[in-house]
Amino acid sequence: CFPRLCVTYTFSLPILSSKTQKCFSTSTGFYNKEDESATSTDSSAEKASENQEKATPGNSKKNTLNIISEMKVELSSKKKFQLLKKLKSKKQTKDQPESLESASSMFQKATADSKAKRSKPLNPELVEAASAVASSLPFDRKRTVSDLLAQLRKHEEATDAQKRGETTNISNVIADMKIGKRRLNRGVSRPSSQISFDDDDVQGDMLQRGIRSEFAGKSSPTLWDLEFANQIAAVNQKPPRNGFEEMIQWTKEGKLWEFPINNEAGIEDDVEFHEHIFLDKYLEDFTKQGPIRHFMELVTCGLSKNPYLSVKQKAEHIEWFQNYFQEKEELLKEIDDHKKETDLSLERKSLSE
Amino acid sequence: MRHAGKMAASMLGWALRAARQIFPLPCRGQVRGYYVDWRMLRDVKRRKMAYEYADERLRINALRKNNILPKELQEIADKEIAALPRDSCPVRIRNRCVLTSRPRGVKRRWRLSRIVFRHLADHSQMSGIQRAMW
Repeated sequence: CFPRLCVTYTFSLPILSSKTQKCFSTSTGFYNKEDESATSTDSSAEKASENQEKATPGNSKKNTLNIISEMKVELSSKKKFQLLKKLKSKKQTKDQPESLESASSMFQKATADSKAKRSKPLNPELVEAASAVASSLPFDRKRTVSDLLAQLRKHEEATDAQKRGETTNISNVIADMKIGKRRLNRGVSRPSSQISFDDDDVQGDMLQRGIRSEFAGKSSPTLWDLEFANQIAAVNQKPPRNGFEEMIQWTKEGKLWEFPINNEAGIEDDVEFHEHIFLDKYLEDFTKQGPIRHFMELVTCGLSKNPYLSVKQKAEHIEWFQNYFQEKEELLKEIDDHKKETDLSLERKSLSE
Repeated sequence: MRHAGKMAASMLGWALRAARQIFPLPCRGQVRGYYVDWRMLRDVKRRKMAYEYADERLRINALRKNNILPKELQEIADKEIAALPRDSCPVRIRNRCVLTSRPRGVKRRWRLSRIVFRHLADHSQMSGIQRAMW
């Protein structure tokens, strides 16, 4: 049994052989090469749906060519135009065994298998193949043949040039490329691109575009440009279509926790435990003796046992008390004096008694 | 992250209704919400104020409620805390029902009044709540 390609479509040819192969792929990946000259015929998705033909594993080239010529491709008008485009664009896939997308590459594959030698004038086999394909296609026969052959010639020239070692003119290509000007999409966003974008990407995309285009010319985005970018993002935002999108939105806003629950969300404590516990360094500015020191030591004792505050918050706490006592310094002095006086008077009284 | 429980009720209130739009909401676009009634709104304001002044109140109270510091200092602290705005004290917060703003008969765990709780539970919209029989 033959190794199978990814099966997408089945073809049925008028000629059936014992070994019927059902496998044809439209996507990249596998190319089934058998001991015999295998032909993996393929066609675009649209064509495949139209025609139902089975291709045999061509034992000889002539067989395949006969088959191809007998294959009649029926296309809708839309698909005709698409096919025209494809034919013109996809002639360069001659050597790649993995590009399976159009009728042109079909016959190209057939020729590649046999590894026909390339000479300056086009291979007669290619010409045959071209004519066979042209007969199968519903276009003007002669024109298609000439088109295909012209494309082939171009491709041959390119491959020969590469073989000779000419450098590819990428630099020229890039130099020719112009920087696209920024189109002002004031509220008119591209609908097709909108659909393909994820909800997440829409805002970020527009914002990035708005900001990047600014960086291209000016130094930094002005406030007006940022506002404009925000406006675009707001316009592009769609109301949530279902509960899942609503939950996504809420999670972004912060109304909903992230699952699986992160116990340390919002707490980014990179600080070691000793900085939480040993808070004496903050008490250096205080007086060493007296009721205030006593009070502050109690405060620090309480803070060191508090797991809910960050180190910053604890430092702020102590700072606040510091400021408070500094403001009340005069008052405290008065209190102190008053206290001493009262103490002295009490002593005198006790002594006198 | 979510704030303390007192803030969560206000956020739920936003999600439902508000008497007027007092703060711009974080999401884009204009959203008008309504609180159930003005009393609920006032409660929301009190909660916000209490959150703002929570640290200060804690510290001043720490000065007041000890017997180490001189009494004069504590008297001054008394006056200071009395001078703070009245809505900043947490005692004025009333745990109202989130849906109906009912001040009484509110179960703390669900923040709902008993009537709403029963209504939702009977329509099986409360997860894990079942009619009791034993």
